[in-house]
Amino acid sequence: MLHRLRFIPGRLLQAVPVAFGVTIIVFFLSHLLPGNAAIALLGERATKASVAALTEQLGLDRPLWEQYFRFLGQIVHGNLGTSLTYQLPVGELVLQAVPVTLSLLGLALVMALVISIPLASLAASRPNRAGDLVARGFTLVGQGMPQFWVGIMLILLLAVNVRAFPVGGYGDGAGAHLYFLFLPALTLAIAMSPTIIRSLRASMIGVLESEYVGTAKSKGAAGLPLFRDHVLRNAAIPTVSIIGVNLGYLVGGSLVIEKVFALPGLGSLMVNAIFARDFPTIQGVTLFVAIFVVVVGILTDVVYTMLDPRVDLAGGTTP
Amino acid sequence: MTTPTTALVGLKQRRRASRSRSLRAWYRNGSLMAGIVIVGLLVLVAVLAPVIAPYDPIAQHLEQALESPSAAHWLGTDKYGRDVLSRLIWGARVDLRVGFLAVLIPFVVGSVIGAIAGYVGGIVDTILMRIVDVFFAFPFYVMVIVLVFVLGAGETSIYLAIAAVSWVSYAKIVRGEVIVARQQDYVVAARLGGMSHTRLLVRHIAPNVMSQAVIYAMSDIVMDIMAIVTLGYLGLGIEPPTAEWGSMIVDGQEFITTQWQQTTIPGLVVVVTSLGLSWLGDGISDLLSPDRRR
Amino acid sequence: MRQRNRAAVAAVTAAAALVLAGCSAGGSADTGTAAGGHPKGGVLTMARSADIISMDNTTTFDNNSIHVMQQIMEPLFNVSADGKELEPWLATSYDASEDGKQYTIHLRKGVEFSNGDPMTAKDVVFSINADSATGSSGWGYINAAIDKVSAVDDETVRIDLKYAWAPLIADLSLFSNAIVPADYAGESKKEFYTHPIGTGPFVWDSWKKGQSLSLTANDDYWQKGKPYLDGVKWTVVPDANTRKLQVQGGQVDIDDTPDWSSLSSLKSASGVNAETFKSTQIDYIAFNQQRKPFDDVHVRRAVAYALDRKAMVKAVLFGNGTTANSLLSPGTPYYDAKADGPTFDVEQAKAELAKSSKPNGFTTTLLIRSGDPNQTSIAQIMQSELKEIGITMQIKQLDPTANKQARLAGDFDMAWSAWTMDIPDPDEWTSFAVDPEGGSNSAFTHYDNPDVIAVNKQAQKETDPAKRQELYSELQQKTGDDAFLAYLYYSPYVFASTDKVNDFHVTPLGNYQLADVSKAK
Repeated sequence: MLHRLRFIPGRLLQAVPVAFGVTIIVFFLSHLLPGNAAIALLGERATKASVAALTEQLGLDRPLWEQYFRFLGQIVHGNLGTSLTYQLPVGELVLQAVPVTLSLLGLALVMALVISIPLASLAASRPNRAGDLVARGFTLVGQGMPQFWVGIMLILLLAVNVRAFPVGGYGDGAGAHLYFLFLPALTLAIAMSPTIIRSLRASMIGVLESEYVGTAKSKGAAGLPLFRDHVLRNAAIPTVSIIGVNLGYLVGGSLVIEKVFALPGLGSLMVNAIFARDFPTIQGVTLFVAIFVVVVGILTDVVYTMLDPRVDLAGGTTP
Repeated sequence: MTTPTTALVGLKQRRRASRSRSLRAWYRNGSLMAGIVIVGLLVLVAVLAPVIAPYDPIAQHLEQALESPSAAHWLGTDKYGRDVLSRLIWGARVDLRVGFLAVLIPFVVGSVIGAIAGYVGGIVDTILMRIVDVFFAFPFYVMVIVLVFVLGAGETSIYLAIAAVSWVSYAKIVRGEVIVARQQDYVVAARLGGMSHTRLLVRHIAPNVMSQAVIYAMSDIVMDIMAIVTLGYLGLGIEPPTAEWGSMIVDGQEFITTQWQQTTIPGLVVVVTSLGLSWLGDGISDLLSPDRRR
Repeated sequence: MRQRNRAAVAAVTAAAALVLAGCSAGGSADTGTAAGGHPKGGVLTMARSADIISMDNTTTFDNNSIHVMQQIMEPLFNVSADGKELEPWLATSYDASEDGKQYTIHLRKGVEFSNGDPMTAKDVVFSINADSATGSSGWGYINAAIDKVSAVDDETVRIDLKYAWAPLIADLSLFSNAIVPADYAGESKKEFYTHPIGTGPFVWDSWKKGQSLSLTANDDYWQKGKPYLDGVKWTVVPDANTRKLQVQGGQVDIDDTPDWSSLSSLKSASGVNAETFKSTQIDYIAFNQQRKPFDDVHVRRAVAYALDRKAMVKAVLFGNGTTANSLLSPGTPYYDAKADGPTFDVEQAKAELAKSSKPNGFTTTLLIRSGDPNQTSIAQIMQSELKEIGITMQIKQLDPTANKQARLAGDFDMAWSAWTMDIPDPDEWTSFAVDPEGGSNSAFTHYDNPDVIAVNKQAQKETDPAKRQELYSELQQKTGDDAFLAYLYYSPYVFASTDKVNDFHVTPLGNYQLADVSKAK
């Protein structure tokens, strides 16, 4: 088993140029944005003179290459730079936002799986029967509604009409966080589930009809063990890649949920930084997200190899 | 004894037989039919908008703002006195067009790149996938926001922005499928039988593998329509006063307690559109993978 | 050097001292109010759409930061509740010399910072100088007329001006001139502002970025008996609907920016209130005179006459506002209700266009900020109204920073903008708007009318209120005729709160004093 995981160190090493590539692109792309942090800070009172003075004070008038290498130099020393907007270390800002986003995503993933696996199995085991139609109905409706709308609906239903949950916010203390995160995580789970269900259902149907399962059945496997060890293991593979896709999408894509539910996560940190042209924060968050996504990618492949012994990711082309 | 050749011949015969079976039965495929009907209807409405919409979608009549549904205005009026039904009809043009166009290029580009990476493997796979990783590491909305800021608001920017980020999903999915497929028996057999890589990829692996990509594409169209709606929520969507479902949902939010139909009806239309597209996707993927019977 | 009418100045100075003396008596009467009727205790929670940026009062420009720092650090004089006058605050009175170039300010006795140190003249000198030192990258320009600040004794400060300057006391009331401990109580400036110390009713507690900021009551506040609250908490809630629902559910006490459309339902809902407060805000359209055809006054007047402001007030503000007739808003001193800027008159608009360089209409673009539904509404209404007179207008949306950049660079035809005063004196706005030397090229319009500029400069130095009124009336009339801006409407500040909140009041400058607020159980 460990032998099959030997691709990991190589991939980790490959993560370095990826992170590097990401930071270069983001750096230069964000400098293409019209305006700069000085203009953002001065607001309506900005005059050409005040903008020029503040620009110089913030070091924004240095040539781009110089700014980029200063940034790189800081990274090497573990320093993500100083936010132009808040004049605080970017690392501090990122560290405050990361737990919020990760808890939200973690909770949402668990909820999505809890919703999706049973529904997909129900649909796949009796295609085109009632259960299947219900499952597919759910996915279709869930997919068609914009996240912010679902969020608002959930708030109206479960936080306003029935005071079961708070209306947005993050709360203080671990227990409170989970409570405040319930509705936003549910919103995200509803958004994530349709694609998971559809893909899982399609591949489950394929697996159920395959010779592989037929063989297992003839050997006496049935019921839950059949399902778990044979069907799910194999059907899950393409779904795992879809989940991986979703997670990466969500780390910064949670910004809509964060806005509706007033959560101080990475999404809002990033978006506010873009509006404020706070380059160090944009770069710092991007770097973090890039590394996170690479790690998720590696984990996805690890799950692949665990689920399907035939897949050899360290190998080359077929003969 | 089953030689590689006979295995391959058997495979071809089986596929030809089942494909003609599913082709003949396509009109009996419930999903496909339902999908074609719904999407077809929507396309028809979009094309015929100038003819069937009762009013000009951008003409303002401030004295008639926020009216409830009536005989004159079946869905009422919005806060500028514009007819909601007309805007809904004209909005179909924008949303369907943007949804389809925004998916086409990423689908093609991403799938090709993913297939090559998955099939060839090795260093090619590594390099392509690292490039994919770089793009992938950009959170979708953030990239879209930055690109829309840089390129200026408007439809073209939205296409470019969405395309730049979403091709990677196709690449990853198709690569994943191809990696599994290339190690299947029938592929090994075909190669032993001397089939060229290209022929194998295009005629045998691709159709089996694309079903996941097509499923994803159909939901991606819906996701892109969602993205436009969400961009509207962030203030970066299709510019006013163009009628478009997303901006209608966002504009109507304020009035959810008084004129709820302004935000709910366009939302329902989006749901129906997604229903149609999903059924269409299911149907098409059935056609493309005849080995997987329902 | 300006000529001075010495007698008038002396008379005005004496009058000012009398008014202020009367006010200070009123001020101390305030603090003597019995606690009866003001429930004590509780934490006030206010939900806002964005977080603070910094507590450095000398270099910060965003309202969210400013409203918080005003509860911690206080100025020498403060604006009255009606926004028209200045009340003594940390200072009790002032005397001005005959030539108007020297002011002597008497400080209030017995005021302490929250760290126990007494507030004295040297703190005042330090604070004003610290603001001046920020120069053009901060609020330093507001002290441009000040030559020297010195401590005469512990309770008296002398300010020497470079020239006579009527807005001085108003400038001192700006938060950037709030009094902080000298030498930042031994810390560096940066460290100090991470937990600022002031004389105000509340004390810094904690800041969870992006989430919430908390202050606790200053038990040794110089206004005895206040604050009534135990603390204040501002939360960050970007979505307007969410804020509204939080107030309705009692999760927060105040929503600082409810939608205009929700006001009537909020007012009639039980347990919640929506209150509007008179403001100094004016919404306007700026014409870039460096771009044809906006260098033609007839074109500008044509556009200004073509806009139905009443319809905008109804459609955008849902009736909560008034149409604008002048450069100044009603809450600003020296506003002239009789100034007649262009109002809605389609015939007049057509007539002006016919006289102009583009009698057959033309195509142009309006620049607005993306993400603001009110601006989108105004733009769409304008688009439809201008079409009536043959002008085709397109809408260009840019995010706030890109929008600002475009206006700074003069890269626009027409642009929406708005202004609110920071001090109770029109000069801050008029100099910004009509004088190219005001730093912004006349609110980015490149408007340059030597007559108007002269009137403004005169008004700056004139200390006789009656004469000043004349000058500002002339200014308002002339700028209206030139139509260098098309005034849209005056909109109030609006806040939604639960009915447990008492005495929450916002001045026309947009500030609020939470020391006066109490919360029912």
